[in-house]
Amino acid sequence: MNHPKPENNQRHGSAGISLVWVIAGGVVIVVGGFLISLFTPSILPRAGSAQAVLIDDLFRVMLFIGGAIFILVEGLLLVSVIRFRARKGDRGDGPPIPGNTTLELVWTLVPAIIVAVLSIYSFVVWNQIEVHPPEALQVDVVGQRFAWTFNYDAATDELPPNVDMTRVPEELAATLNNGDPISFSHPQLHTWLNHPVTVSMSSQDVNHAFWIPGMRMKQDLLAGRVTTLSFTPIETGVFRIVCAELCGSGHGEMAGRVTEDGDLAGAWLIVHATEQEYLEQFYYPELEKILYPPEDPVLLGRQVIQNYPCAGCHTLSDLGWTGTTGPILDGVASRNARLAATGEGTMEAYLHDSIRHPGEYVVPGFNNLMLQFNPEPDQPNYMPDSDLNAIVAYLLTQTGS
Amino acid sequence: MATVTAPLPGVQSHEENKLRISDYLKWSVDHKIIGVQYMVTSLIFFVIGGALVMLVRWELLTPALDLVQDGTQFNQLFTMHATVMIFLWIIPMFAGFGNYLIPLMLGAKDMAFPWLNALAFWMIPPAGILMLLGYFAGQAEAGWTSYPPLSTLFSPGDGQTMWAIAIHVLGLSSILGALNFIVTIRNMRAEGMGYFQMPLFVWGILATSLIIVMATPFLAGGLTLLILDRVAGTAFFNPAQGGDVLLWQNVFWFYSHPAVYIMVMPGFGILSEVLSAHSRKSIFGYRAIALSSLAIALLGFTVWAHHMFTSLMPSLRIPFMLTSMIIAVPTGIKIFSWIGTIWGGKIRLTSAMLFGLGFLSMFVIGGISGVMVAAVPFDLHVHDTYFVVSHFHFVLYGGSVLAIYAGVYHWYPKITGYMMDERLGKIHFWITYIAFFFTFFPMHMLGMLGMPRRVAVYAPEFQSLNAIVSISAFVLGLSTFIFLYNLVYSLYKKRIAGPNPWRVLTLEWATDSPPPAHNFHGDPVFFKNPYGFGTEAAYRYLEEQEKELGPSYPYTMEPEKRSVVTAPASTGD
Repeated sequence: MNHPKPENNQRHGSAGISLVWVIAGGVVIVVGGFLISLFTPSILPRAGSAQAVLIDDLFRVMLFIGGAIFILVEGLLLVSVIRFRARKGDRGDGPPIPGNTTLELVWTLVPAIIVAVLSIYSFVVWNQIEVHPPEALQVDVVGQRFAWTFNYDAATDELPPNVDMTRVPEELAATLNNGDPISFSHPQLHTWLNHPVTVSMSSQDVNHAFWIPGMRMKQDLLAGRVTTLSFTPIETGVFRIVCAELCGSGHGEMAGRVTEDGDLAGAWLIVHATEQEYLEQFYYPELEKILYPPEDPVLLGRQVIQNYPCAGCHTLSDLGWTGTTGPILDGVASRNARLAATGEGTMEAYLHDSIRHPGEYVVPGFNNLMLQFNPEPDQPNYMPDSDLNAIVAYLLTQTGS
Repeated sequence: MATVTAPLPGVQSHEENKLRISDYLKWSVDHKIIGVQYMVTSLIFFVIGGALVMLVRWELLTPALDLVQDGTQFNQLFTMHATVMIFLWIIPMFAGFGNYLIPLMLGAKDMAFPWLNALAFWMIPPAGILMLLGYFAGQAEAGWTSYPPLSTLFSPGDGQTMWAIAIHVLGLSSILGALNFIVTIRNMRAEGMGYFQMPLFVWGILATSLIIVMATPFLAGGLTLLILDRVAGTAFFNPAQGGDVLLWQNVFWFYSHPAVYIMVMPGFGILSEVLSAHSRKSIFGYRAIALSSLAIALLGFTVWAHHMFTSLMPSLRIPFMLTSMIIAVPTGIKIFSWIGTIWGGKIRLTSAMLFGLGFLSMFVIGGISGVMVAAVPFDLHVHDTYFVVSHFHFVLYGGSVLAIYAGVYHWYPKITGYMMDERLGKIHFWITYIAFFFTFFPMHMLGMLGMPRRVAVYAPEFQSLNAIVSISAFVLGLSTFIFLYNLVYSLYKKRIAGPNPWRVLTLEWATDSPPPAHNFHGDPVFFKNPYGFGTEAAYRYLEEQEKELGPSYPYTMEPEKRSVVTAPASTGD
């Protein structure tokens, strides 16, 4: 016979584990799990919302349990390999142990209890974060390839104090007199500390996902539906807004950026310290821009172009845009070669038609991705003629190489 | 013992059964040839999918666009990487293992439907080529999840349609293969072999096949609607005309979550075989492992919407969290049962065993992060980020791919008749294992920090972590060539394996290596407990087997040392 007889020198089931080792192992597992749960969350960005604090606490608990299980499993594997590695020349087999019902029950029931506890805890956290308080600041979010636009409403009682109605354009004044709110757009989301904000989100094209890592909250934008997300900031400062659902070639650029000069570009959440600060530094100045529009069409164009989602795809140094999916707008008014190529007579007409019918004016080397901006309010992507003319006037000042 | 009609010593029979390369390039209904055809085809696609992701990681070395011309090209790269790896590497590779091993393990002469078996395989190369040819028609660019309307109204290239048709065909191939496995396992077990006497790999393939026949038709249905939306002007997913984008997400994930188990359950099966054989100890809790596979297969159908925690109606999220959490229980049973298997054994650290242990140690990380992302509140933060990318690579690379490596090192001697080079195998293991960890572990941190997945440009502060990931990925990619070299090198080195070099009790080893045309000489007699290591009966069985079939490695190489009982263990280091 070539093979030695099976060895049965180890006690059945316990396989030679002593109580001391079990206790020592237990201490290592608990302490290790605790250390993992203590240090890992420092990787996260600072918790900027009430929701983030709750979510981070849940994460800590899961890290503790997960870390302990990780150390337990890796530890058992290491001990097995070191202790039970066949010695040189040993061609024998291990003891014939087909199983152990008690042990198997333990490692069925203990994980079952753990996931039950985690589920209940997660459910409790979910009920605390999934709330939409009625007093929340309401902001409409529009996602489109590859930029975010935030629309703020202003009713009659929300206008700046001492508003000079004589300087307000007739159209806006009429809307306000009817009791309807007016609205303005901005590429950033502004709010203030310790006050809930609810964003209602819709998409102009494909699905996107609205994510503020600092707030730990994310919600997809679904084509054809409106989705909402609420959170309450508890930290002031700026927080990057990111698109987290693949939306096409510029998906990675549909996020807040910092320009080379250190300015914020793209989508950011800005949390002011107080409502007063929010009103004085953001809301009233922005409202005044539309209440008292500049007479000069160039200045007006420079202002209104920022209400449209152009920055996601175009580069324009004057405004700090760095998009790469569309043609660069620096020096666009000097590209006379495009006139010949498209058969347009003047640069003004070319720019005008390119915005109204972008699909017919695609610059070679670029894809037909740009939205078509339409002149009627009931059409999608509404851009009134007054805005368009001002934007064209502004773009005509972008000369150079 | 067995009634042997033509007893052939292992070494001689090896020469007689030798197959030429040309035999593998032809239509054949022999399950062993089809199995190898599956495996080699999959390996080719593995290299292609790997090359694609090397380009992705190269692009991500810097925060800005540099390697690729535009974001579209980048999107095409990762779309094809994922699709190739899932549908043309992992799934067909495991189908290859199943094809080669299932009839052998059951003591059958072939699969139940040999001709259908060949048909299922021969659908794969044309489908794969069709998908890759999409490059010339505007490659698919909407991610492997292909969410409309991005994949319909906003992906003008015909490559997207070709992609959908190719997956349709691959799905059909997969269904035909799975039906064949189910019928084979049901009807063609050796005389007297009960379900609970089958090797656990067979259980893994059985559970996988049940999932495939139930889930894949949903993918087919979804793809049909997608193709119609693209080419026939229907509006199933176009909200402007009354369609719904969530319809696709539900149908897609109703297939694609179970598909995760399609991609990992055969790996579980391989792991059970390898860990038990190379630690010379009975599997611990056979029934628990076998039945937990069925439990996972069943539960796997109830969790699909956890992929939609940020798009699903909020009120529906909690039920899917509960079902997803429950899956951790049968998975935990498996992990602890495997530890129970090696505990107290006589562990041989062969390359196969190293990859098996590597699987266990890495898969557990994927399991833990899986529970974390199942918790809705935490998932709100990490959904669609690199945390998730890390999670599923720990499952699909740390799990499935390491299991495939373990399986290849374990069964290569049976398939080719030659041992694989152990030294190269160990170099391969250590480089792969370490590079794998440093490729995928830092991704957890990137996701937590705020880096979404599928982006070509990212915030500059993420660059150092991305550089670590990319450089490790390059090492990981290169380490694959050690494996490929070993596959070919060992074929020329010709270290004769003999019928049963690992001295295993399952039936695939109770015949020559490689097995003769109809697998066994006469009717094979199976050992009633496939993992009965350490019993007198098992020793006698193996002794009888050696008398009938001839010696195995290392005895085949050292005939003069036959009498020395304490010869160095073939399987030791």
